[in-house]
Amino acid sequence: MAMKSASKPRAPLVPMGKKRCDDPRIDYKDLTYITKFMTPQAQIQSRRRTSFCAQCQRQLKQAVKRARHVGLLPFVG
Amino acid sequence: MNQYEGMFLLDNQVVRADYKAAKTVVLDVLKKHGGQVVTARRWDERRLAYPIKGRLRATYILTHFEAGPDAITGIRHDAELDERILRYLFLAVEGVPPTEIELSAAEGDDFAPPPPPADDAVDREESVEGGLPTQDGDIPEEDSVGEDGPVNLDDEEDA
Ligand SMILES: [Zn+2]
Repeated sequence: MAMKSASKPRAPLVPMGKKRCDDPRIDYKDLTYITKFMTPQAQIQSRRRTSFCAQCQRQLKQAVKRARHVGLLPFVG
Repeated sequence: MNQYEGMFLLDNQVVRADYKAAKTVVLDVLKKHGGQVVTARRWDERRLAYPIKGRLRATYILTHFEAGPDAITGIRHDAELDERILRYLFLAVEGVPPTEIELSAAEGDDFAPPPPPADDAVDREESVEGGLPTQDGDIPEEDSVGEDGPVNLDDEEDA
């Protein structure tokens, strides 16, 4: 890791070690919430970056999948 | 009886002609299979993130209903065959959020939403010629692996 990566540094959205997932259910209709954890290319951000626990990250993924299914979010082109 | 949340995307052409009749399309499908509709309301009218069945916009009807464990298959089948329903999504839920009951009740029998914008049809030449992903089957599905959550009724992509 001596060389700096050419890609943009991706800092976590919250300080390391802090989980920001108190909400056990992620609603696919809550686009304001969901899109906070997506890249501008409509991809799901990594768990490292969302700071979600595994369960919440999985729910996020499921919610995004549902939102895509009903045309609320694009599929990544 | 199980409790479900059902989202239906309706063709705006039907909505434009008569919202109540359009909503009835959804209710009839649910009732036909013994579903007891608890709430049903217009959740939104919006531009789609990608064209679905040749439409760029749709009216979203959000429902909560109770139905027997075998009913969903029939409901899904009918929704699939009805060209006025562009897409649907069913989730098993624990209960109906109080806000949904309020919002659904607020949408009375005489509710008439503003007519949807007219630009909801994919340009015909484009959709015929260009091979745009307007058909459901053409939508690439990614990260469809390992989805085994407890409320996974929606995992079937429309074939
Ligand atoms: Zn969590």
